[in-house]
Amino acid sequence: MTARGERVASLAESAALVRDDMIVGLSGFSYQNPPMAIVREIARRGVKNLTLVSGPTSGLETDLLIGAGCVRRVVTAGVVFERVAAVAPAFRRAAERGDLDVWECDECIWHLALKAAAWGMPHVLWRGGVGTSLPELNSDLKEVMEEGRRYLKVPPVQPDVVFLHAAEADPFGNVRVAREAYLGRTFSESALALACRGPVVATVERIVTNAEVAVSPERTIVRGALVVETPWGAHPGGVSGRYVPDLAHYREYAAAGEASLRGDPVPYRRYLESHVYGTEGHDAYRRSIGAQRLDALRTSRA
Amino acid sequence: MSEKRVAPASGPTTPPRDVARLLTCVVARELRDGEVVAFGLNAELLLAAALLAQRLHAPNLRIRHGLRIERGHELSPSAWTEERASRSHEVIEYLEAHDAILDVANRSSPMRFCDVFFVGGMQIDREGSANLIGIRGKDGRMTIRGPGSIGTTSIGTLARHVILFSDEHTTRRLVETVDYVSVPGWRRRAAAGLEGGPSLCVTPLAVLDFADGRMRLRSVHAHATEEDVRRRTGFPLPPGPVRTTPPPTPAEVEALSVVDPKGRLDTVDLCRDGGPR
Repeated sequence: MTARGERVASLAESAALVRDDMIVGLSGFSYQNPPMAIVREIARRGVKNLTLVSGPTSGLETDLLIGAGCVRRVVTAGVVFERVAAVAPAFRRAAERGDLDVWECDECIWHLALKAAAWGMPHVLWRGGVGTSLPELNSDLKEVMEEGRRYLKVPPVQPDVVFLHAAEADPFGNVRVAREAYLGRTFSESALALACRGPVVATVERIVTNAEVAVSPERTIVRGALVVETPWGAHPGGVSGRYVPDLAHYREYAAAGEASLRGDPVPYRRYLESHVYGTEGHDAYRRSIGAQRLDALRTSRA
Repeated sequence: MSEKRVAPASGPTTPPRDVARLLTCVVARELRDGEVVAFGLNAELLLAAALLAQRLHAPNLRIRHGLRIERGHELSPSAWTEERASRSHEVIEYLEAHDAILDVANRSSPMRFCDVFFVGGMQIDREGSANLIGIRGKDGRMTIRGPGSIGTTSIGTLARHVILFSDEHTTRRLVETVDYVSVPGWRRRAAAGLEGGPSLCVTPLAVLDFADGRMRLRSVHAHATEEDVRRRTGFPLPPGPVRTTPPPTPAEVEALSVVDPKGRLDTVDLCRDGGPR
């Protein structure tokens, strides 16, 4: 009998899946589970004109790629750092300068666009959002009448490739959440994976055996992914059940981005230099943050 | 809540930190037993209000906070927390994938997403429309980019009961007409064939409600004056005697100390003086 094929990949080969002009799905919710290690790897490769499908409400994974000049368009319900920045700074700057197109949506409409892709539908009708500015701001989101009622006609959005970060996976691409959970347990991993036309890559805190995964199948959220063991791969974001977000790091990033908004690009450039371009890969990034600082972020059961 | 008196021209000043507790009580009084209330992540005040309502008059209120159903008795940290010790396992009934928000479209299911939803925004207008998208410049283009509509548009359109909440009371926030519409108010809803509209707008200085689809002053908090509230509102509010927002009752104060033993409400983001003039 031939052996079952493993689906373990490296960060570099996973990032190389992204080419100019692609539609890239990024999972994560606010400060939770952003696939930051792969995002930094993509930024280092200098790809251009990406469309990001992130969120539904996204954060640093989206803002960093915008700030690094990789993004032309975003499909997201918002880019925010709760309590740190009401609007993420690179997103704000690029949108205000006209360098970024925003597909204006909310979290429900974002999900419906992915459902339409997953279900193979030309559109999905939705009652939320009638009477708002969304149809005026998106040429492909029209209001229509159906049986005497008004609906939004939501088109499909289909990523070419999806990246997510999770607690664990087995070598065969079964991705699972931590037993411990915090804000939520799962976010939009499966919504993005089901809509994707190409590969789904999961960076995970650690790879575990298939036997371990098989004993609690309810924790598996995505199957068939390429998996990359990437400890601290969400930093400075948090991972549900593993570590909390490094808010001091977010504040440093936001301050640099806000200097850019005021016309001083130096601090943001310096941020990218020290945390993205100047570190050769994720291990170097981890060393630059420091083991002590990372350990202090680990969650503990009260 | 039955107390009726005319707000003094220059009232006594509440120590600013108590404003969050007052607003918590104001919101709690709006929540009914058996409802499902939903709000986003950065929402300790709303979570405190829901926990308070559960203790006082709504033991069957269900609280949907982000992607979890709370059954805790104490204000717990939100997504932005740096606290490493989590009691989530003790206080969460269940966690779900984010696309559960689509269930808001069926208001009748026992598993419905919510009955009551809170909406904020960069701008809130006279008819109760809210804008999280951006601000237009003189040339009509978007000159200030907002965060995006987040979860507000569909839930704010489809939920049974929408309450507006603003952390400041300024003419830039409370405007005649919003520049962009994330959530439609009374007139826009009617034009789109939707019934009803938001019921209330709570700010650090006042409580406003709606008559004929237009905002009016329901009460002014004791630390604010009616004159200041009118000056800080970007559209005319109908005249008439305005009462003072009933202060926290002894029962509310006692329950608040149980809900918020660590004084988290003292640190919520709120312009306690209303914000910049």
